[in-house]
Amino acid sequence: MDGVHDLGGREGFGLVPNKEDGEPFHAEWETRAFGIVQSSALGSGWSIDWFRHCRELIVPTDYLTRPYFDQWITTLAAQLVDEGYLTLQEVRSGKSSFIPQPAYAADTAEASRKYVKVPKSYAREVGTAALFSSGDSVRCSALGSPGHTRLPGYVRGRRGVVHAHHGGHGLPDASTRGSTEAEHLYTVRFEASELWPEAEDAVDQVFVDLWESYLEPA
Amino acid sequence: MTDFDTKKLSNIHHELHSDLPSEPALRTKALESLLTEKKLLDAAAIDAWIEMYRDEIGPKRGAAVIARAWTDPAFKERLLADGTSAIAELGFAGHGTGHLQAVENTPQVHNLVVCTLCSCYPFSLLGVSPAWYKSNEYRARAVRDPRGVLKEFGVELDAGTQVRVWDSTSERRYLVVPQRPTGLDAWDENALAQLVRRNSMIGTQRDLHLSREMS
Repeated sequence: MDGVHDLGGREGFGLVPNKEDGEPFHAEWETRAFGIVQSSALGSGWSIDWFRHCRELIVPTDYLTRPYFDQWITTLAAQLVDEGYLTLQEVRSGKSSFIPQPAYAADTAEASRKYVKVPKSYAREVGTAALFSSGDSVRCSALGSPGHTRLPGYVRGRRGVVHAHHGGHGLPDASTRGSTEAEHLYTVRFEASELWPEAEDAVDQVFVDLWESYLEPA
Repeated sequence: MTDFDTKKLSNIHHELHSDLPSEPALRTKALESLLTEKKLLDAAAIDAWIEMYRDEIGPKRGAAVIARAWTDPAFKERLLADGTSAIAELGFAGHGTGHLQAVENTPQVHNLVVCTLCSCYPFSLLGVSPAWYKSNEYRARAVRDPRGVLKEFGVELDAGTQVRVWDSTSERRYLVVPQRPTGLDAWDENALAQLVRRNSMIGTQRDLHLSREMS
């Protein structure tokens, strides 16, 4: 989707803020929001892709201005309302009117401690041979797609070279439509001069991970 | 149950915009108490996440990986070939590093990591990311003006040094392997690890200076 979240290459932003500060949290509420979103009960449709899409759908002015962990907790609230576990009336009154039966109950401390130690693989079998291999010239889809996608706007219609092929990975565009599909995943290398009008002589490169349906031979 | 309806989610967000308290701390508190009342949260699990990321998981892990790579060429080879397996040798496998790609700085190449679409980050190695990494400014500019961003962080590159920017658009996560400081041949792995800072593993620091770190 053409949302404000798709920030790569947007102009008019100023200096990077808080560069000297590496602390992950700056207030107690941020720490709580982090723990809440990591451990909350979830609906059957939850995936990391669906969470990202639900964050992208935050009111655009809020997306650009509200703090990061505030966006996390707002996204969680939106997902719980969407699942029917929480109502807007409850949000307005601050009072619970029923106890829902979520698809995935709230994590326990023990489950959380196990979860962080397990690397999650998103590799999936794809029934077809890879269309591209390292060194192939490819061009990205010019149109993108209406829902969630991981094809950033700044590479649409642009030509790059396949840097690596990673086998099949779950396709985020599909998982946010409730379907499980996998496609070959590639890292594609773009010359800065292919992406930016002011970068004519630049030697710099940008590497982007892209799924096969985002690409065509070029 | 969700029906994966983009428009419905957008409408919910427009309602929440005014239905939730505007002040972030109040918003978080209101939701925590409501969700706890609805039995959608377990207070002990919230505390567990906070404790794990405060006490165990953070950039010290990444620094240990880098120092190992500097002192053990076979490990470095494994790290560059399959980051996820390599960090498991040190017990650091986990959250956000199921597909880890290490990228190595050289005299000719400087690597910089960003997530332009959200905030992807190798959690189990570097902990929770700093606020600047998630800022609109960094996300917008790192792919287009990497040298300008680097300059703000105090990194000046020769025109001939190539910048490679890695945009984390899939579940693959990137870890920059900075160059080993010269003149420290006698230093062991643990001492070297003390020199490695979070920003050098994201790419917003290039040179690891002994004097600066010790002062």
